[in-house]
Amino acid sequence: MDEQQKYARLFNDIDSQAMITLGVVLLSTIVLIIVSQRGLNWLATRLHGQVRFRIFALVPLTRLLILITALAIIVPIIIEPSLRNMVTLLGALGLAIGFAMKDYVSSLIAGVVSAIELPYRPGDWVNIEGTYGEVKHVGLRTVDIQTPDDDLVAVPHLKLWDHAVYNANNGGTSLQCVASFYLHPEHEAGWVRKALRDVALTSAYLKFDKPIIVVAEEKPWGTHYRIRAYPVDPRQQFLFITDLTVRGKTVLSAAGVQSAMLPPDAALDARNAAESSY
Amino acid sequence: MGEHSSSADTPLWAVVELDQFRTPEQTQASQWRRSLRSASTWLVGKNSAEQQVKEEHELRALPEVKLAHLVPPIDWAPAARALAQQLKGQQAPVTFFITPPHSGHVSVVSQWAEQHHFACLPPPTLSELAEGDTQWVERCANQREWAVPALERYFLRHTQGIQGVREFLERALSGRLGQGVIGCDSWAYAYLQEVVGIEGAPVFTLQAMEGEQLSQYFAKIATHEGQSPLVYSTRTGKPVLTESATQHGDKAPNKELQRLAAHCRGHIGLAWHYWRERLREPTADDEEALWLVDALAEAELSTDTGDIATLVLHALLVHGGLDDHSLGQVLPFSHHEALNARLALQRKGIVSSSEGRWQITPLSYASVRQLLESRNYLVDPL
Repeated sequence: MDEQQKYARLFNDIDSQAMITLGVVLLSTIVLIIVSQRGLNWLATRLHGQVRFRIFALVPLTRLLILITALAIIVPIIIEPSLRNMVTLLGALGLAIGFAMKDYVSSLIAGVVSAIELPYRPGDWVNIEGTYGEVKHVGLRTVDIQTPDDDLVAVPHLKLWDHAVYNANNGGTSLQCVASFYLHPEHEAGWVRKALRDVALTSAYLKFDKPIIVVAEEKPWGTHYRIRAYPVDPRQQFLFITDLTVRGKTVLSAAGVQSAMLPPDAALDARNAAESSY
Repeated sequence: MGEHSSSADTPLWAVVELDQFRTPEQTQASQWRRSLRSASTWLVGKNSAEQQVKEEHELRALPEVKLAHLVPPIDWAPAARALAQQLKGQQAPVTFFITPPHSGHVSVVSQWAEQHHFACLPPPTLSELAEGDTQWVERCANQREWAVPALERYFLRHTQGIQGVREFLERALSGRLGQGVIGCDSWAYAYLQEVVGIEGAPVFTLQAMEGEQLSQYFAKIATHEGQSPLVYSTRTGKPVLTESATQHGDKAPNKELQRLAAHCRGHIGLAWHYWRERLREPTADDEEALWLVDALAEAELSTDTGDIATLVLHALLVHGGLDDHSLGQVLPFSHHEALNARLALQRKGIVSSSEGRWQITPLSYASVRQLLESRNYLVDPL
């Protein structure tokens, strides 16, 4: 009987007024989250430049603030917020989490960490465990990444704990792109370097306040050139790389520079190298 | 650059070094106003104008004949004289004179060259630019004193199209072509500075005009037999020209024209177009006074302008205008996509044709520049 009374004291008496208050708070929280998330996303997708990324960064933070406020209102209505009650409640919660919902809650906690540390935010181009794409939404449990193939991949936040997150633009508008050229060893390297630099300088997508670097690397099968440059907007990266590649090939073939004929294993190496340079 | 002009007492036509160029007072406020206007148009549709003293339906556009008397074309001779003053004793092999679109660098340099018997070098042909042919640079070597009124006609933004201008500027800057003065669009100058590297050569431009100077200029060109017309603002109902304002005992700074100066970043060529477009006369025949309507940007770009349209606008600015064929050559998409984008911009009044080249219209220039700047494109230094 004593035990029963002890547990009864943990929770407040939930009368009809408390039920209504809880309902109103829950409903308001849901509505506020939906409105703020959609509103901020809607606004950010219509903006450009740095402002776009600043507004995107507000999306998970706003949701976190709304949730904390809602919890601060709801908890005192349900339980008597004394030290003993809190310890009991947290202990019970910890037990449940430890046994049944470890990964789920770990993702939720990582989601809170991601809203504060900002390893990724909507609009960033990230690579998590081989999934590369634009962050479209940072949810409570997962981050939604849209790949260049238009697949939407939901990656749990808990990857934050033990996996590297490669962020290509880190909340900014500068994202380095790499266009590769594999050339036959017989060519005038100085001329090729200048020509590839001109290819970048004459691209309509080029961001001028960032450097253009042409890297040449000698290989057993020929020379591997890379143009490293930045597009005006990260979303233009594939158009930019395509533009550099198409015009670069035109210039080189017009000058009689031949492509390298790669043996199959070298071709595989080159492909891996190009992919890892993203 | 980008700082504000400290005084309105400078002469109307002042040619200054590029790093002494100052935008008029309230330029930043004007940009904020334009952003706000654009955002509210985007959110709630077309804006209704601010409260007006005189309603627009009571006014009508001026006939061409009257406009030609009141707002004649700009005479760039004083600017050419001011440039001559600056160039006196100038020993550098190449001197640049840059202005934004519609702001007179071609006329100023041409007039200066004619007065000083400098030969104007002919630009390369489109086929020479397309093939990367540098023979035209050899032709320039025959002159020891020369002028180039419009350097933006000497290149196209593709790998072949920049070879000639690079060769030409390298020779000119090293002094091998004698002495020359180059007129250049400020956007082309910004681009060539990145592509060729033209630091070190002296660069001059027209100093920005404040509202008071615009007022003096518009009063002067409209004055006949010592009488300047009375022009009132439909927004405030106050006279806007200096002389008429003084007659009315109004010695406060000219806010209406200061707004215009800030909107045009002090460029007289752009302000002239606004002035010409905004003058109205009353529909009632018994009234003689003219009115200046408050409509700063007639053809504004929306904030959701797509990437293709933005790239077309930037290409047109960098080249000081292009024909359809050349436009297709400098853009990374097919000719028909470029043509469609150009047609859409033409329908909105953002671009128009002048001498066979598509250019940004003077009334759209301010909003186009602001849009490109907000999207991190390379913009001009003026």
